[in-house]
Amino acid sequence: MSETRSRWFTAERRRTLIQEYGIFLAFLILAAILSVSNEFFLTPGNISNVLLQTSINGVLAVGMTFVILTGGIDLSVGSVVALAGIVSASFATTSSTAAIYGAPYPVIIALAVGVAVGVACGALSGLIVSYFSVPAFVTTLGMLSAARGLTLIYGGGRPVPALTPEFRWIGTGHVLGIPAPVIILAIVFGLAWWTLTRTRFGRYIYAVGGNAHAAKTSGIDVVRIRFVVYVISAGLAGLAGMLLSARTGSALPQAGIAYELDAIAAVVIGGTSLSGGIGRITGTLIGALIIGVMNNGLDLMGIQSYYQQVLKGALIVGAVMLDQKRSYGA
Amino acid sequence: MKKLALALIAATALLAVPASAQTKLKIGAAPYGLNAEFMQIWSAALQQHPAVKNGDVELTVFDGRYDALVQNDQFKTMVTQKFDAIIFVPIDIDAGATGVQTAHDAGIPVIGSNTRVNSDLLSAYVGSDDRISGYMEAKIVLDKIGCKGNVVIIEGPIGQSAQIQRLEGNKKALAECPNVKVLEDQTANWSRAEAQKLMENWLTAHPGQIQGVIGQNDEMALGAIEAIKAAGNDVKSYAIAGIDGITDGLRAAKAGEMTSILQDATAQAQGAMDLAIFYAKKGDYKPESEIWTKYGKDMPWNDGKDKEYNVPWTPVTAENVDALLATRK
Repeated sequence: MSETRSRWFTAERRRTLIQEYGIFLAFLILAAILSVSNEFFLTPGNISNVLLQTSINGVLAVGMTFVILTGGIDLSVGSVVALAGIVSASFATTSSTAAIYGAPYPVIIALAVGVAVGVACGALSGLIVSYFSVPAFVTTLGMLSAARGLTLIYGGGRPVPALTPEFRWIGTGHVLGIPAPVIILAIVFGLAWWTLTRTRFGRYIYAVGGNAHAAKTSGIDVVRIRFVVYVISAGLAGLAGMLLSARTGSALPQAGIAYELDAIAAVVIGGTSLSGGIGRITGTLIGALIIGVMNNGLDLMGIQSYYQQVLKGALIVGAVMLDQKRSYGA
Repeated sequence: MKKLALALIAATALLAVPASAQTKLKIGAAPYGLNAEFMQIWSAALQQHPAVKNGDVELTVFDGRYDALVQNDQFKTMVTQKFDAIIFVPIDIDAGATGVQTAHDAGIPVIGSNTRVNSDLLSAYVGSDDRISGYMEAKIVLDKIGCKGNVVIIEGPIGQSAQIQRLEGNKKALAECPNVKVLEDQTANWSRAEAQKLMENWLTAHPGQIQGVIGQNDEMALGAIEAIKAAGNDVKSYAIAGIDGITDGLRAAKAGEMTSILQDATAQAQGAMDLAIFYAKKGDYKPESEIWTKYGKDMPWNDGKDKEYNVPWTPVTAENVDALLATRK
């Protein structure tokens, strides 16, 4: 074994290689099994379906990755999805009973409102986590409850129907045959990838999650980084909420329940460590795709959704188990 | 005029009661949860009951938050606060019996509404038979496809009484059309988003083969409609039905995209309220809600003596949809 080769094959590098490509391999195996067992799985229409069905969880999971990389967690995204969905919808509805005064507004205003609602929720959570040092689990658990309550108060517990075609386009439209939510996910993912791998801010996120104390001593504004990741996560939840209501055609107050769990699952399956500092955004994307492909494949084969839940549970635990073994056991 | 006359009679009857009965009746309503539209319409109907509006009854609505334990605790609260009667919509058919027992032991009458509870201690029950609606919606779908072809069924959460009974009704209608094949049959947990995903995947798995969609509620039928639209198919070439008559369902029915079977939340709520007052006053009461005249012999009051009142289902049609939508303003 040559000198260069042994340096190239450090334990560290081997670990990241397995982490990144292990999950990719698992995804390929899953896709291969499904394409053999179902003739429709690999059709263009179905691939487009899988991507479409992954888009909302994908957007949430990207935001969740930022939070988890700092060692935090955001349990509130499902409720923020509902709140942003219903508030933005009230700016984009033609229904006289559910609309805010002056609606329907141009789609850009409705979209801005939805993101702003998410950002506001995230800013509050972020402030409490970073400045007041309340554990993220507790803070976002509180936000989960409060945002759901606000959703019910805002809409009087009723759905906001009759969304304008322009607003619905972000959920149902196509560009060159590609569904609009898929394009939005691609843009969100691209920006996230660039931020985490190519910017100083991205490196700081890893640093804070890896060792907050060391990050602080080396001059990183830990409080600010912790604040911003919750704003990103909830802002993307706001976007996801609008995608959901645009897709279903109506903003429902009970939308998004338990969506945080699928988002966390995608991040964890994708190999990001819940204790922070380790993980890749590409892993998260694959994690979200695995969940989407699994649900789609089992539906195609006519298997009851109860099995899907069991499989997802096994997958989450299995992914972390492998990760632990590689990190500490081998 | 008839309504006015009835109201006058009711008003005179009220004036005639002795002074001792003029203290307000305290009636508690315990619906399983207030997050969805149906139970909101139900609660709003209670507030609109004549006896509540004119102040004879002081109504308190307890949100059960979809938790049987929360509902049982609410019963204890109502017993401690000496309510005169309780209107109960249990989340769980078996777990609800404990609460009914608690109230019964304290001598408080309990009236069931909308969903059933396994207890023989209920004074009366006002609801609609889900087997009938399940049969009606499936029949509408099957008639539209001419009793042959392929359908899919989107079910409620497996094990809930509405899911079990609506499926029973679905199957009864399907048995009458042996040439119809059920291609898929899964739960979407009453959720529009879940049903939409399911239908997208089924349209892929059975391209061009699905003719009918039996959704066990409107939300899920609406999800299927969105999936069909997204796939670029003509919704009107499918036979689609749902149950409940929620506002979005009525709109889709008006657009000719689906049929909905209206479950009359107002009649279930106000009927139960009349019975609650009737039992709280130990039989010295005539019903005040207009629902009894609306349904007439289809749901007779029978001097409050019946144990079970079956509120009829109403298929939403082009003729009645505008009037129904007007009530949702």
